[in-house]
Amino acid sequence: MFTHSPLRLTTLAILAAGSLAYAFVAGFYGMEILAEIAILAILVIALDLVAGFGGMVSLCHGALLGVGAYAFTVAANDAGLTALPAMLLAVALTSALSFLIGAVCARSTGIYFIMATLAFGQMAYSFVFQSPLFGGDDGLSGAPRPDLSAVGIDLTDSRAFAVYAILLVAFAYAVAAATLRSGLGRSLVGLHHNEKRLRALGLTVWRAKATAFAISGALAGLAGCLAAQHTQFISPGLLSWTVSGEALVVVILGGLGTLVGPLLGAILFVVLKHEISAITPYWHAIVGVILIAVVMSRAKGVFGFIEARWEARKAQPLVKEAKADA
Amino acid sequence: MRTTIRAALAGLVTSTCMLSAAYAEDIKGGLLLPYSGVYAALGQDIDDAFALGLETFGADSGATFEIVREDDEVKPPVGLAKTKKLILQDEVDVMVGVVSSGVLGAIRDTVDGAGVPLIVANAGNDEATGEACSPYITRISFSNSQINRPMGQWLVDQGVKKVFTIAPDYAAGRQMIDAFTTAFTAAGGEVVDQEWPAFQKTQDFGPYLANAKASGADAVYVFFAGGEAISFVKQYDSFGLKAEMPLYGSGFLTSQLYVEAEGPAAEGVITALHYVPTLDNPENAAFVEAFKAKTGRIPSEYAVQGYDSARALVEAVKAGATDRETLAAALPKVAVTGPRGELRIDPATNNIVQPIHVYETVAGPEGLTQKVLATLPAEADPVNGCAMPAATN
Amino acid sequence: MTTDIGFWVLQTLNALQLSMLLFLLSVGLTVIFGLMHFVNLAHGSLYAFGAYIAATLAGTLGYWGGFLLAPLAVAALGAVLYFTLIRSQRRAGPMAQVLITFGLIFVAVDATRLVWGDLPIGIAVPELFEGQLALLGVEYPIYRLFIIALGLAVLGVLTLILTRTQIGAMIRAGVDNDQMAACLGINVERMFFLVFVVGCALAGLAGAVAAPVLSVTPDMGLQILIPTLIVIVIGGLGSLKGAVAGSLIFGFVQTFGAVILPTLSPVLIYALLAAVLVTRPQGLLPAKG
Repeated sequence: MFTHSPLRLTTLAILAAGSLAYAFVAGFYGMEILAEIAILAILVIALDLVAGFGGMVSLCHGALLGVGAYAFTVAANDAGLTALPAMLLAVALTSALSFLIGAVCARSTGIYFIMATLAFGQMAYSFVFQSPLFGGDDGLSGAPRPDLSAVGIDLTDSRAFAVYAILLVAFAYAVAAATLRSGLGRSLVGLHHNEKRLRALGLTVWRAKATAFAISGALAGLAGCLAAQHTQFISPGLLSWTVSGEALVVVILGGLGTLVGPLLGAILFVVLKHEISAITPYWHAIVGVILIAVVMSRAKGVFGFIEARWEARKAQPLVKEAKADA
Repeated sequence: MRTTIRAALAGLVTSTCMLSAAYAEDIKGGLLLPYSGVYAALGQDIDDAFALGLETFGADSGATFEIVREDDEVKPPVGLAKTKKLILQDEVDVMVGVVSSGVLGAIRDTVDGAGVPLIVANAGNDEATGEACSPYITRISFSNSQINRPMGQWLVDQGVKKVFTIAPDYAAGRQMIDAFTTAFTAAGGEVVDQEWPAFQKTQDFGPYLANAKASGADAVYVFFAGGEAISFVKQYDSFGLKAEMPLYGSGFLTSQLYVEAEGPAAEGVITALHYVPTLDNPENAAFVEAFKAKTGRIPSEYAVQGYDSARALVEAVKAGATDRETLAAALPKVAVTGPRGELRIDPATNNIVQPIHVYETVAGPEGLTQKVLATLPAEADPVNGCAMPAATN
Repeated sequence: MTTDIGFWVLQTLNALQLSMLLFLLSVGLTVIFGLMHFVNLAHGSLYAFGAYIAATLAGTLGYWGGFLLAPLAVAALGAVLYFTLIRSQRRAGPMAQVLITFGLIFVAVDATRLVWGDLPIGIAVPELFEGQLALLGVEYPIYRLFIIALGLAVLGVLTLILTRTQIGAMIRAGVDNDQMAACLGINVERMFFLVFVVGCALAGLAGAVAAPVLSVTPDMGLQILIPTLIVIVIGGLGSLKGAVAGSLIFGFVQTFGAVILPTLSPVLIYALLAAVLVTRPQGLLPAKG
């Protein structure tokens, strides 16, 4: 079950304060990176919700992000909606699609679930790539940013946009945490541990899984809207399965099933990527080696490692006392 | 005493003036190219030749050039992020590069909005110098339809009346083929049938080749590039089609970069391109020799685009340009005679105007080489909806 | 055109050729999974490695030198991978395996770029199989017929080994229940190693066979990965029959989809995969009932 330990709350507070502070001092490029981190952070929160807690390892979250981005851009450009209704529509559409995928894949587990989600992701990718409505390989431009001039905020300004992106991450985190604390979240974790038992207890398994997947998909769609607003240009590459793979990498690097860890993972991944790619065009290989090392070490990612150390330190005085007693 | 101070002050004033003058002629350029991903080899060719061009021509401009390199990974969002870095953080005076049309589409509004001149060194999508044209974007490479359009008339003149076309199903593939078929049918030719294999997902062209064989066309006209070009040319030959239906296409099919990997299968294929390394003119001879000395490779069309991008930048500086605004104004006025022949920029679209060379791939003493069959005169692209606004910086 | 019998013969041969190439790749992957429950996403990279080795050796030893040595080189690489990464991760669950082998793909792509450069490489079809053969009224490239024949031969040999030899019986026992097999005195560890290395060798063989038909590029391993995964999931993980069925289904759907329903063809195979997973979550012919 998901709880907020003091360590998690402290980490969250530091992350929130740090990122907001950075948003006000960062250079132009720093703000770009901040927005990039925010998009990835929302996506990995969404992925950790189903993969880390529900055991549904999805390889279609990149595609869901892409669906959100395309739905948002098309709704804003062609249907003439303003940014906020277009966002709502895009999130709702992605969520509905995710519910369907979740329902269909609910019977599969393990590697079959991974493959089934991969198949749906690739279907979406092929469809967008092929369809002239979506600009094909050349992509679509012109996604608008929300107009908040009524409250005196100009989102075309990079700094304001970075803050807005951070607030969306906070919102996504709150949604995920609330889901996990709800009855649905408890069922999800229960399903991960023992599906048969919950079935026997009368839970409609497919519906619980599909609902969780729909919430996760809504968040991925939100990340897609933010990505479209950030670059104001979208291309089919967003839906590629390697994006899903990278998101999974980030979740693992940060700490699967901790919800806080993936946030750390997103920061680490984006910063590492930019730092290493500035040095060598072969940065993929270095990321690959780091990934293999992290998984081989069997630590639960960076945050898992921190948590384990923290627990060990807390436990130490008890051990000493015990020795003294003996 | 007083005079000494005055003299010293005067000296100080002069030296600071000179300093600022020297500073004004430091041009900072951002090179945005794929150094990883499927187009990495193209990026490398452009990069090497761009550096060579600056070495060759830069000295007599009086300016010094500082180049910042960024890898766009052939991903539009990455290209956009790197563009913002170059413009906002590195504060470059000019940007050069862009191989993929997708990346160009992604960065177009940012470059245009920031008023930073961009020399396009490859990306050929027609829109970039059509409806999406910008006074800040000057294309020194080619446009998709420019290369294929002249082949329509030329093929009819050679007695080819019925063709079958094959190209990957994406924007560039469609533009290349549509430009050809429009010209070909206008000249009296007939397009029997067309195939559009899925882009970057098709490695086996057997199914399409079987259809082409059964179509009864005189010839096959295709566009493919990179690894797909190699697979296609080899498979075309392996099905024995080359003997019964000659293979034509846009010249990327048998580019210098890939022709060695294609091997004997490429012999006899006739295609059109804006540059081949065997062009017979003194500028090209000097370029080929210098490029070979620098890299050990024979230059490809991508290399010449990098070389001419550097040349155009130097020419603009020679014409007095010193910053973003003046470079943007000077670049479209550049006209030079280079390895490709006479080049100029069409002021209506900022696209290059250049001759197109029809060539056959033949076996030479040192492997496969290009025999130029015809040089078709330079022709400006139609404006394609471009209403060129004045540069406002 | 579609009423012409030659068209159907030609496209059927094309479909068979693609199927056999995919079979060579997927059979190793699926048996490794069936036996060891290990998902190797880097299987495509082994195929690319085989193609590069074959293309490199073709210059000095000729095509057949590469054809023979590429599988051995890839098997050797597989052995190294087995002892460094695979063995310790066998029981780590699908996610750890997916991620480690996903990381391996990154490393493999950049390693090939470093060694062989970014430019695609191509090699010629061996002289023995140049040209076309008249068959059932159509002219078909001999080399492609060779691929079909090779695939069938490998299928035959594997079937014989699995059904008629002791080691085959041991492997089948291991797929059914590896712990029970170990209790019966089978050296399961050695069998795992053997199967993994043979699977790698087959991937290398597929790469060497594909090199003269396709262009050899750093990302060819990534390109073939998704089709291979689709094949084994449709067929059912772990079974030889499943790999055959999956390869044939993929080959025919892909080939005929491309020429008959070109607009739908990219989505077609994924739709089929989704349909199979909905109706038969374990694939069509899974190893275990």
